[in-house]
Amino acid sequence: MESTNDFPALCSAPQRDRHNQKRVILWSLAWAIAFLVVSFSIKREWLSAGWDVAAVLGTALFGIGTVVSYYRFLIETDELRRKIEVEALALVFGIGIVGGLTFWLLSELGIVSGKGFAFVFAAMILAHALGVIIGRRRYS
Amino acid sequence: VKNRLKVLRAERDWTQADLAERLDVSRQTINAIETGKYAPGLPLAFRISRLFQMPIEELFDFDDPNEQNHNPTRSVT
Repeated sequence: MESTNDFPALCSAPQRDRHNQKRVILWSLAWAIAFLVVSFSIKREWLSAGWDVAAVLGTALFGIGTVVSYYRFLIETDELRRKIEVEALALVFGIGIVGGLTFWLLSELGIVSGKGFAFVFAAMILAHALGVIIGRRRYS
Repeated sequence: VKNRLKVLRAERDWTQADLAERLDVSRQTINAIETGKYAPGLPLAFRISRLFQMPIEELFDFDDPNEQNHNPTRSVT
């Protein structure tokens, strides 16, 4: 729906962004909590056979919710913000591929433990935050 | 890409936030366009053009570095 001057005015871009960002944060939090609870439950062997798989699939649903909410944010956000996010995602993709494969080779050599993959995920999250900060500074 | 956005906005006594609201973008986008750090995409360029009721060519000035090579009036020696 558009206002009389042909420009959408019902919801300003920052308001819409804040709303969508809030959804992304809530989905991410739900996913992270579900992930921690399920991984802890599997480690302690609290879940019986069948339920453990269901719990993992349930966690994946929260993950899908996170991806969908982030995609929606990316589509509906302001075009400069989208450019900044895409540039940050390029950094995340590079670090994920290069870091992940390097870590895999090192774990094959027995230099690092396979469980250390968490560091690669942490590096990807940090790369996204860094990419967004760099982008915001570049265009401000 | 150079543009006249800042001048046109000042003529109407609008702040960057006012213009951002009218164009449904963030204030940062307006600032980045005005300072020449960001060239808007076609949909936003058309929205700016409609808002100021001016053709895009009068709003934006694009210095194409390849233009000289493709200029048919330029003699080839």
